[in-house]
Amino acid sequence: MRRVLVLMCFSMCFSACRPPALIPPGATSQLPPSHPPILVDVAPKEAPRLLPAEAYVRTYMQLFGAQTLLEAQQKAKGKDGNQLFDNWGDYLTTLGFPDHRNDLPRARETNALMIATFERLGIALCDRAVERDFHAPMAQRIIFAFDPIDPIDSSQFAERFDVLHRTFLGYPSKLAPPGRIDRYYKLYKDTQTKHAKTRLSPTEAAWSAVCQGLIRHPEFLLY
Amino acid sequence: MRRALALAFVLAAANAAAAPRTLDDYRHFRALSIDLIGRAPTRAELAAFERDDFDWDKWLDSHLTGPGYVDRLTRVWMDLLRLEVGPAVTFAPPSATLRRQAITGPDGKPLNVYYRQGQRRMRDATDGEFCLSESEVGFQIVQNGQLKGTPKPVSQTALDASTVVVRPWWLYRDYLSSRPTLRLKEQWTDVDPLYQPIDELLNDPSGKPTEEIRVCREEAQTSDQGTIHASGRARPAPGTPPPEGRLRPLPADDGYAIKHAGEPISCRSSLALNMSVDCGCGLALQYCMPGESGGNDPRAFSLPTRTPLGLDQPIGSAPQTVSYWHKLWWSQEAIHFLGYIVGNDRDFREALTARYSLVNGPLAHFYKSSSAASCCSREKGFNMVQETEPLFDPARLPNDLFPSDTRAWRFIPDRGPHAAGLLTMPVFLTKYASRRARGAVLYNAFLCKSFVSPTGELPPSPEPNLMLRPGCANCHSTLEPLAAYFARVEETEWVYLPSWQFPLKNPLCKKNQQGKLPGYCEPFYDPAFSDGAQGLLRGAYASVDHAEAGPGGAAAALVADPQFASCTVERVAASFLGRPLTTDDSALLQSLTRGFVQDGYRLKPLVRAVLRSPQYRSSNNVRSSVWRAP
Amino acid sequence: MLNRRQFIQYSSAAIALAGPLGRALAQSKQASDEFFIFIHAAGGWDVTLWSDPRNERRGIVEPASTANTDTGPIRLWQDAPLDSDVRSFQLIQPPGSRIVFGPGIGRLADFFDRLCLINGLAMNTVSHPDGTAYSATGRHLSGGRALAASVDAMIANELGLTQTFPAVSAQFPSSFAGELDRRAVPLTVERVGSIGRVLARAGAWEKPEERDSVTALLSEEADSLAARAEERGALDGFALQNGSLAKMLGGGLDEVFNENRLKTAWPQFDYKARFQGGRAVNAAFTVEAMKRNLVRCVGFALGGFDTHGNNYKTQAQVQQEAFDLIAELLKTLDTTAHPTRAGRRLSDHCHVLVMSDFCRTPQINLAGGRDHYPNNSALIISGRFKPNYTFGKSDPEQLLPLRAKRFSDGERPIAPPDLLATFLSAFAIPPRRYLRDGEVVPELLRS
Repeated sequence: MRRVLVLMCFSMCFSACRPPALIPPGATSQLPPSHPPILVDVAPKEAPRLLPAEAYVRTYMQLFGAQTLLEAQQKAKGKDGNQLFDNWGDYLTTLGFPDHRNDLPRARETNALMIATFERLGIALCDRAVERDFHAPMAQRIIFAFDPIDPIDSSQFAERFDVLHRTFLGYPSKLAPPGRIDRYYKLYKDTQTKHAKTRLSPTEAAWSAVCQGLIRHPEFLLY
Repeated sequence: MRRALALAFVLAAANAAAAPRTLDDYRHFRALSIDLIGRAPTRAELAAFERDDFDWDKWLDSHLTGPGYVDRLTRVWMDLLRLEVGPAVTFAPPSATLRRQAITGPDGKPLNVYYRQGQRRMRDATDGEFCLSESEVGFQIVQNGQLKGTPKPVSQTALDASTVVVRPWWLYRDYLSSRPTLRLKEQWTDVDPLYQPIDELLNDPSGKPTEEIRVCREEAQTSDQGTIHASGRARPAPGTPPPEGRLRPLPADDGYAIKHAGEPISCRSSLALNMSVDCGCGLALQYCMPGESGGNDPRAFSLPTRTPLGLDQPIGSAPQTVSYWHKLWWSQEAIHFLGYIVGNDRDFREALTARYSLVNGPLAHFYKSSSAASCCSREKGFNMVQETEPLFDPARLPNDLFPSDTRAWRFIPDRGPHAAGLLTMPVFLTKYASRRARGAVLYNAFLCKSFVSPTGELPPSPEPNLMLRPGCANCHSTLEPLAAYFARVEETEWVYLPSWQFPLKNPLCKKNQQGKLPGYCEPFYDPAFSDGAQGLLRGAYASVDHAEAGPGGAAAALVADPQFASCTVERVAASFLGRPLTTDDSALLQSLTRGFVQDGYRLKPLVRAVLRSPQYRSSNNVRSSVWRAP
Repeated sequence: MLNRRQFIQYSSAAIALAGPLGRALAQSKQASDEFFIFIHAAGGWDVTLWSDPRNERRGIVEPASTANTDTGPIRLWQDAPLDSDVRSFQLIQPPGSRIVFGPGIGRLADFFDRLCLINGLAMNTVSHPDGTAYSATGRHLSGGRALAASVDAMIANELGLTQTFPAVSAQFPSSFAGELDRRAVPLTVERVGSIGRVLARAGAWEKPEERDSVTALLSEEADSLAARAEERGALDGFALQNGSLAKMLGGGLDEVFNENRLKTAWPQFDYKARFQGGRAVNAAFTVEAMKRNLVRCVGFALGGFDTHGNNYKTQAQVQQEAFDLIAELLKTLDTTAHPTRAGRRLSDHCHVLVMSDFCRTPQINLAGGRDHYPNNSALIISGRFKPNYTFGKSDPEQLLPLRAKRFSDGERPIAPPDLLATFLSAFAIPPRRYLRDGEVVPELLRS
């Protein structure tokens, strides 16, 4: 037994010490014709970038149908003082704008306060948009360029959701990850059903919620 | 039915001639919109993108222009260089700033009188002070507008003797005419929106619109040339109380004034304030900024506090100081300059080398008046009583740009022989106030290199040469020669020291037997590197060649460095890719750099190449396993 | 009995869940009732006026004197002979103090028995952004970018994730880098008052439950995108930050972030001080936010220290106001109850680190001021650090850092990474988790 062990040790050492065996290549063979092509993902993989604060604000202005920041501010405030919107100056730092006078750098990632700011601004935009669009001729509707029928089934919702999806996220909803349309439809229905009495009707509140869910979406804020 | 048709129409329009675009296509288009237009695409733009006849290259080329693109590229260097000056820096020079003092008029009502701090006057009671004495108005100005005494009505005689009424430039568009009539908000109504003097400048103490202002007589003088004045007073012994009626001693005659008494002096020189009684702020006070108080930095104009999308989109304004006015326009010069290079697809090297610039009314006013105020109280020892070779020669400015022309930007093809892109702009020289700070930021911003200190000790050492000193040499062997390019531009300012007045090696500034330089030499010549034969200009020890070449030499050296091109490419690519470049990007960086150089250092082809690169176009954040999943 | 595929699926789900949530649950048990205050004296302070006082001419040291300083407002300035008609200052050493101060120390001198002073910090830089980053992160900048997280982000990541606001930064040089939880990203604001506006919500259009539904959906969306993503960080951060919205929006935080209300609630701070008055509200915010257990770390900046020119005359007053503010902050923390530990004061569980970019030259320059210099001091006020104690020193003739002790790489001065490593270790945080450099200096810690 001992001899066998010694022999094994020797052979292992010998194997370890001698040069590695060369394995000659074998003959290549073709895939059968019926085999589907093998796809290779060669796309570079990169983390998304945060939408620059300037681009966020310009997009916001455009969605408000405003030519200037002050015009957007006025439209957001309406006649309600600071209820829905304060002043742009209150939001600049939390939106991530740099302040070169004070050497404060641009924000390159989100933080909780920025998320809160996006909510504040998103609520203002969407609430004002339902107030405006649903009482305006179709040609003048900026965000809700459709008729908000009630009741609405899932396919009718999907058609309208597609308009919003294109508006905010820049692509058709049919290309969105699975389940998105259903999630937003559920949000719509739940909001409409449970909406307490406010300035907005249940349908308006439901569409505003869908709108908020898109302007605050990671695919809106990242690119 | 009609509603359903309307909806169908909207959706049909959206899908008209829809090409089968992939999700990556949409993401790419959205990214391009954000980067080149500055916002997300609209539905109409998406619809156009979806059409069969959409041409990526044509779209791209048509958007490598326009305000969104210019802003995007300008932002790259503004974020890097941060060319805005903060609140710690004030610039309200006494010779170019009119303060204002409220007195009690002959009728017992309040009356404002404008004056300059330190103005020489013939009367002992008021020489170097406000033009009305304590016996005339009841008080003296302690400092910064604080008073000692009790105001009393001034007599009409005293008022007329010491003050005059003027129609100043800030109230009248036609201020250069013999009798201005186009008053702000009355006959002058087409006012640039950013030109907003504060209410205190527009209304008199009773609240009525101001038609004329009262200013001390000396300040209202209009001559361009005065005479150096020496009062003949002896300097009082230390501890001697000031004369009756004065809080401060009488101004003593400057040594230079004594020596050159009676000689002419330009009224645009800041020395004229302290050395002449016949120099003022010019016709309509055009060479001075107004201030609403006697404070250190009085307020003057309402200006935007924050401009997230540029000055054309202010979000609120507030009364701001004289300093703020200057600093705002300094920054705007840099922004417009960069915007010009980007928008006109110029050779990017011009950002450092160009002698041209762009100015508007306030900047023209600054360069013609306040800019000279930094010089020449110390420089006069070298017979420089006004800037002889300014970095921006005011003679090259147009005559038809008024201080209120905030939106009229003019191209100035040549600022002068020492101009060098951003390197000689006030905003750069103030933000990076020391020679070393200037060198360091250029090294980082345009060569993508950092000065990284080794973790070493800094042993005490008598070695003045930081390029040799243990612990310092590692960084300073590179930094000192870079800083030397700015040896002829004074620190914290933009005064240029010409070689014929400030030789690099100056025998007049040699060390004496006690090893000291003459007092007037110390601010400009470095005792540590001077000897018994000559003094060496401060900052020049590391490289006299660089010192002689000046900022233009720095610009030439930087753009000639091979790193300049690759660094510019890196900055642009990193900005669009949203991440620093890594070694994995080496091939991309090399290819882009080659192209950048071949295309004449122009940014447009570079940006096009970046946006068409697979790293920008095809990158996504979707895991391959997901991508493959059925 | 689970098959292999089910086992993998369930384990993966458990691991995914265990990630941020699990860590949060675990950390809620760790040192979760300590608070941290980080103060940045922006611009570089003159240490010869407060921490490393020099009142004699020696070598290249030109002391502060009546020739270059406005001494009138400086309460602790007592003339000491220097020249014929120029006076320097007397050193200040309160009875019982082992620390010697300069007159800039203001009322903080009364708290000598709580101060741990570090002198002779080797900065190896005189650039503002680089010195600031080095002090706050322990790493020099590279290409203008911070390579490491700042100390407030580090502490927030370790100890603060369950707070409503793990780290709030009012112009403190915060940076976020590395694999930190996204909730630890410091909330950077210019002024604390601006936070209040952002948290305001109107009830006339929708109710909080409706907003919460949207937030919940968005968290779900972020999670679903993250599950498909190659790089999850930003998306995970989204989900986490959305998740903290409810806490931020509930509870009427208006008072905490309303500057006028803060000033009314905490009138003891000097809001009219010439140099630090505008920043005093950050101290009031700090106390209010800690009293309500809303934050873990608060960082803010004090200014006016970068005195290159004849504004050096005011350096002593700038320091006095800054240290008076810190003294008032300590006094206020002494009289404020800890939010979760019955019978304890906030100050018992509050740890303060005061730092600057670097110090100023020992010489006076041609403009009458002092320029940048690669030496520094720092101040720690913490029950875990040795009180009434000075560590490190600078040489008497050139004010350069001297060797402080033998480190693993030999005898050398203490540097910011060592200070930060020691600070982290005081709270049982392994320094190497965040710091590439630096060694713990046990001499600084209370045994």
